[in-house]
Amino acid sequence: MDWESIKKVTGILFEYLPNTLKLFAVTLTFAIPVGMLVTMLKKCRFKPVSWLTNLYILIMRGTPLMLQIIAIYYAIPMLKANFSKQGTSGWFASFINGIDTRSESYMFTALCVAFVLNYAAYFAEIFRGGVDSIPKGQYEAASMLGMTKTQTFVRIILPQVTKRVIPATSNEVITLVKDTSLANIIAYAEITMKAKQQMNTYSSILPLFIAGLFYFVLNAVVTVVFALIEKKFNYYK
Amino acid sequence: MAILQVRNIAKNFGELKVLKDISFDVEQGQVVAIIGPSGSGKSTLLRCINQLEKADSGEITVDGTKMMYKGENGKTVYAPKKDLRDIRLKIGLVFQNFNLFPHFNVLHNITEAPVHVLKMSKAQAELQATALLDKMGLSGKEKAYPCELSGGQQQRVSIARALALKPKILFFDEPTSALDPELTGEILKVIKELAKEKMTMVIVTHEMAFARDVANHVIFMDEGVIVEEGAPEELFGNTRNERTKQFLSRFNQ
Repeated sequence: MDWESIKKVTGILFEYLPNTLKLFAVTLTFAIPVGMLVTMLKKCRFKPVSWLTNLYILIMRGTPLMLQIIAIYYAIPMLKANFSKQGTSGWFASFINGIDTRSESYMFTALCVAFVLNYAAYFAEIFRGGVDSIPKGQYEAASMLGMTKTQTFVRIILPQVTKRVIPATSNEVITLVKDTSLANIIAYAEITMKAKQQMNTYSSILPLFIAGLFYFVLNAVVTVVFALIEKKFNYYK
Repeated sequence: MAILQVRNIAKNFGELKVLKDISFDVEQGQVVAIIGPSGSGKSTLLRCINQLEKADSGEITVDGTKMMYKGENGKTVYAPKKDLRDIRLKIGLVFQNFNLFPHFNVLHNITEAPVHVLKMSKAQAELQATALLDKMGLSGKEKAYPCELSGGQQQRVSIARALALKPKILFFDEPTSALDPELTGEILKVIKELAKEKMTMVIVTHEMAFARDVANHVIFMDEGVIVEEGAPEELFGNTRNERTKQFLSRFNQ
């Protein structure tokens, strides 16, 4: 490949960078709060809820994200076909039938659902580890000072958990940047998908190398951001 | 009436009987030391009075309010939540390993509860905290974080934190066990100061100097029962109880 083609390929990948970033941003925005919710469900004293949550985490962490993407993307059209064949009705059938699988946004929504469900499971385990690592004495001290359970959690426990989960969270976010490439399996137009096309056009692996540089630079930024956040929390041990 | 009344407290951890029929009184202004070998149940007793553990049966009355008592059917009843909370605000506890909030500076550790629990104004709480720190010999440490302080300094901050809620009784759970022998003196001095001001205190301790120098009443516990109690001169000077003698002999060598 000559210099001109390299510039051209880089330009094309740049055009599709927003699609990669969109998936990354939406996943991060929703997976963190959903992960916190999952942590709470897992810690629920009503055992069946806790067991179901464990099962969910087990499946999400125990099977490949790629399979989950494919399953969620194709599940709805297949269910629809099945429902119409068997004439199933009811709220669930009408809900599924209401989803327009041919619309522009369907693919992106399916991807986001798969990514958020998967990443929330990992975040939930990180947060649980963080909450469990806070010494019992912190709860006891807060309770002796007359603080309510909510005050204790929000003012005493959560800030300390946040500091403790930063390194593990940074790991997860770096992985997420790279995992967005899995979306190419259902032909979502992101960087890896486009790089593969360019590879065929030019019969060269250089486009893949350029795509790799994109991920590398993104993760350099993520690393710097997390280093800054860590520094911000460094005022106490 | 005694400010703290404990009657027939019993507590089991499974098969293990940690507390067996414990009764004692603490009068206003009294300094009580609870001594005894490890595993004698002293800390558990303190935790039961402070609502950090639940005793199985017995009665506890704090400043005239019943915290737990025997109900009509003979079962042990706990006071309604509101009463339990009121009682909790009347007592303070100083922990063995301080349990300061690491993410707050010294001043914030002390003002947190007055501001968010008692709804005191921030300015007033800070004024009070500064005065308390001065009393603890920690002036100038307001902006320091707990990790920047020595163990003795941390323990003094935690005493100030407890005092900020103006408790009627202050409990200490082995306040010097996590400290160098050299730093024990700092805490002893503070407790002596508080005793002079007629602060009611109950101190669980391994430190016999504490019991001898500051307490005006000593309780000796072993295997979940109170073996002997009395004035320190009596207990340390001329106990007739064989078990007490045996325990004290190790410290008098």
